[in-house]
Amino acid sequence: MKLAKDEIALPNNLACPGCGASLAMRLALKALGRDTVLVIPACCWTIINGPVGKNYAGVSVFHTAFETTSAVASGIKASFKMQGKDHINVVGWAGDGGTFDIGLQSLSGAAERNDDIIYVCYDNEAYMNTGIQRSSATPYFAQTTTTPEGKDRPKKDLMGILAAHYVPYIASASLAYPQDFTKKFEKAKSIRGFKFIHIFVPCPPGQKFQEDKTIEVAKLAVETGVFPLYEIIDGKYVLSKKPKFVDITEYLKLQGRYKNLTEENIEFLRQAIKSKWEYLNKRFNE
Amino acid sequence: MKKVLGGNDAVSQAVSVCDVEVISAYPITPQTSIIEKIADLIYTKQMNAQFIKVESEHSAMAACIGASIAGSRTFTATSSQGLLLMHEVLHWASGARLPIVLANANRAIAPGWNIWAEATDSLSQRDTGWIQLYAANSQEVFDFIIMSFAVAERSLFPAMVCLDGFLLTHTKEAVEILGNDDAKPLLAKINRDTLDPKNPKAYGALAFPKDYYAIKKQQHLDMLKVFDIFDNVALEFKNITNRYHKAVDVYPTHISDYSIVALGTLSQTARLAVDNLRKEGVDVNLVKINMFRPFPKKQLQELLSNKKLIVVFDRDISHGKGGIVKDEIAGGLDLCNVVGFVGGLGGDTITESDIVSCFLDAKNSQIKGLFL
Repeated sequence: MKLAKDEIALPNNLACPGCGASLAMRLALKALGRDTVLVIPACCWTIINGPVGKNYAGVSVFHTAFETTSAVASGIKASFKMQGKDHINVVGWAGDGGTFDIGLQSLSGAAERNDDIIYVCYDNEAYMNTGIQRSSATPYFAQTTTTPEGKDRPKKDLMGILAAHYVPYIASASLAYPQDFTKKFEKAKSIRGFKFIHIFVPCPPGQKFQEDKTIEVAKLAVETGVFPLYEIIDGKYVLSKKPKFVDITEYLKLQGRYKNLTEENIEFLRQAIKSKWEYLNKRFNE
Repeated sequence: MKKVLGGNDAVSQAVSVCDVEVISAYPITPQTSIIEKIADLIYTKQMNAQFIKVESEHSAMAACIGASIAGSRTFTATSSQGLLLMHEVLHWASGARLPIVLANANRAIAPGWNIWAEATDSLSQRDTGWIQLYAANSQEVFDFIIMSFAVAERSLFPAMVCLDGFLLTHTKEAVEILGNDDAKPLLAKINRDTLDPKNPKAYGALAFPKDYYAIKKQQHLDMLKVFDIFDNVALEFKNITNRYHKAVDVYPTHISDYSIVALGTLSQTARLAVDNLRKEGVDVNLVKINMFRPFPKKQLQELLSNKKLIVVFDRDISHGKGGIVKDEIAGGLDLCNVVGFVGGLGGDTITESDIVSCFLDAKNSQIKGLFL
């Protein structure tokens, strides 16, 4: 499958070099098309999209308060329905802080109502825009400015939380697999009701790796089994790509946020990946 | 046509004749019967609208913001803690210049838990950039809701209509209502800038200090234009209904030695007190504030600048300062002959004789303003 040629997102936005979130928007809009409006809360994309007068996303954007992405998107969709413009994709585009943490309530509200919107969480695993503070998406042992000792709790299972809302479509996607990525956005576009897409976006300054390693980090997140690629379609779990289960050290050693890990920590992570996949495999085989 | 309606029924009835397209709300006492009635009107196809049943007041206002930026006429209702939860997004609605209309059932703020009347909830939102109207009876509730949609859409500011919990929300009286066609001339659809995929723009983008300052200054200057817009709407409304609502009402006459100032249902009680005082030969009138924001400085100056004494009654409190309305009158008009009484908090009773005796105490210089 070829990617759409249409470049909707514009070049020269205000992202850091090597920004995964910038590339995620470019790919997502290729699949979503121009009949799309975005709701963007406080997150890196508030800055990336440029100051007053600029709009690097290339589609209409409503910048909103941190915790309101889903509710604002629900309101936009309801209005478009009343106006007979139901074909427009209404897309919430939020970071992990605005999704896993402060935005979780309104996300849950919109999912429970099965409002016909697409919610995208671009997850760089910390509050990168405010300077790398931990979020509930920050994984075990990752160092942030508020967890200098490394985080002592696991990453919240957001896919599981969404699955508990019985919505028609949930998927995880990776920048390292653009065909799979865009296919999932196209699928989300074609389904009525609430759609959730979770993208892991590597962040060079926040995760502390060289800015030319973004795709390599994204790819290793999948290949080590850290970030599984799958869909939950009407409650049915479908695996998108079986990892090679490359040893996790390959992934960890690229990133400065894991520089203090002990051999014991690494073994703990190996076991965590194993038990996560045991849990997922049961669901894939259901 | 006349109907016997409580304040909440008057809100729902008014919303149903305004072609509202999207409603989003969360239940809270004593607002609930507003949204129950709207849900029923939609269910029985007497109203064609989308009703987003959200999980909180914060999301209720956020959903209204979404619906309004996408171009729909939008309404919500709340009260007390709910309005306080909305506080952050109230700023967002006014900053994005969205003509959302909100009905607030004025209710005390916990702790202790209290569901009865007090205006601290909405008065403490005075700096959110919303037009604020305070109704004293169900007729005003009905009229103010309809007028609010017109004023909000012509000025591009959100507007809240405030009605005292239970005293007004649940007290029934005869209300002259309008049909859908009667309200139409007032509510012609106005073209405004809304989300459009054919014209991609970013709304509410990052603003550096110079841009931010310009935006906020313009917002203030545009808010001052609401006075003229309100006057025009009030005159058009008068032509339709023969009822004329000014930003500030005076009773019974402009010329008097003394004035009592109040808003909401407290002004109804104060009106009786003024009658009683005038019977005793005291030359006093009532200045009733209908519009609290924008602050009707000019109108109030005309009515209050040459008084021997002004006594303001507040069913609200700013801790460490006193009555909010009193503070606005004294500070807003640079007057030093203003005495304030705070009373009726959490729905506590205020009778006309309470108002008479407080006024007389102030007039006789025995009290400089205190709790009632």
